[in-house]
Amino acid sequence: MHAFEQLYDRHCRIVFGLVLRIVQQAGTAEEVVQDVFLQLWRNAAQYDTSRGPFLPWLLTMARNRALDNLRLKSERQRRREDQTEELPGISAAPEFEKQLDEKRRAEQVRALMTSLQPQQKRALELAYFEGLSHTEIAAVLKEPLGTVKSWIRNGLLRLREGLQQQATTT
Amino acid sequence: MSNADQFGELLEAYALGALDAPERAALEAHLATNCPECTAALAEARWLVSQLAYAAPDAAPSDMLRGRLMQIVRAEAAQETASAAREIRVARAAKPAVPYWMWAAAAALLVVAVYSTWTARKLQEQVYETNQRAIAELNSREKIEEELAAVRREASILADPGSFKIALATSQPDLAPMQANWSPQLGIVLSGRKIQPPAGDRVLQLWLIPKAEGSKPIPSQTVRPDANGNFVLLVATPPGAMEDTKALAVTEEPAGGSPLPTTPPTWVGTTASASPTR
Repeated sequence: MHAFEQLYDRHCRIVFGLVLRIVQQAGTAEEVVQDVFLQLWRNAAQYDTSRGPFLPWLLTMARNRALDNLRLKSERQRRREDQTEELPGISAAPEFEKQLDEKRRAEQVRALMTSLQPQQKRALELAYFEGLSHTEIAAVLKEPLGTVKSWIRNGLLRLREGLQQQATTT
Repeated sequence: MSNADQFGELLEAYALGALDAPERAALEAHLATNCPECTAALAEARWLVSQLAYAAPDAAPSDMLRGRLMQIVRAEAAQETASAAREIRVARAAKPAVPYWMWAAAAALLVVAVYSTWTARKLQEQVYETNQRAIAELNSREKIEEELAAVRREASILADPGSFKIALATSQPDLAPMQANWSPQLGIVLSGRKIQPPAGDRVLQLWLIPKAEGSKPIPSQTVRPDANGNFVLLVATPPGAMEDTKALAVTEEPAGGSPLPTTPPTWVGTTASASPTR
């Protein structure tokens, strides 16, 4: 049990925080987190190191599960059914990522989100935590589609730059 | 603007799942052509998107979730008892081969290298790096598999109805006893709670005391309890059989263990006192 317990203890906070932010209810969040770790235990072979580093893979799987849980309750379910990947796609961390510890990474991401204009921050949150598309976000925020697209892309590119700077100053 | 430039601008939104259907379909059609630039950029975009998880407020799940999860995992491990040993062998035998794409990439790189020595040198470096990465990935994969195999075996031994429980008592009043579970097929799990870790880098070592008159104690593995005094030691292949063993003993030894005990045993449990787990 030891290795699995260690794996859970190491990653349960970040996974739970993410899932809770998406589903908004602690009870539901715990169910989703339990599913995610059980899937990990039952199908350890699904995680293939050629799919990229482990934690991004785990976070993507947790986000997909949490968004699926949201969609079950929403009219977006049908439209999204063909979109959810069964398993996360291959991810690759840039070279500088090795210089980032967990704490600095969290600080940098939160600092960047705080530095964005409120509408841009909201656009990124609607996309990541609520799984909305560009068009849906534009409708919610009552902003032009092109603006929403560039907010999201620029926000992510700024996040990358911020993490890179953080890594080089570490 | 090349296709890669044109589609490259969509990759972050695609990784985020924010593209609307027409753009998504167009990008997926392009990705199906195996454009190397976009494939690599998408992998990094997926990593970047995963970093947004850190924007969620920090929160801890309840201890009940942990307990429930570990209970399910233990129960499932117990069901696998009968086939656990075979599965472990299969899992170890099934180490992943170097993926085909990597071989294909290496072959393609070699063809290109014929046309330019400069390119050849550059590509050789890339192949070397790719190989190094592949080796690191294989090692990491192997480590995870070994850890999971050890976890499953520990749980299997603890739940094996054919295993025996041996209490290791101590004469020192300030020390807690230890417990061993010995499965003839799967090995020994020695565990302890609130066991004071030995001073410095010294360790606790398990010994098998043979029944045969005049035999010396047989050394087994060593362990150091964690800061809370807890430990679980898995001995997958004990150095002796249970029917030939009179007792299990634990002594304190220098780091790395000793071929013969250098201190009197602090904990001892006889196999005569062993009771079936179930």
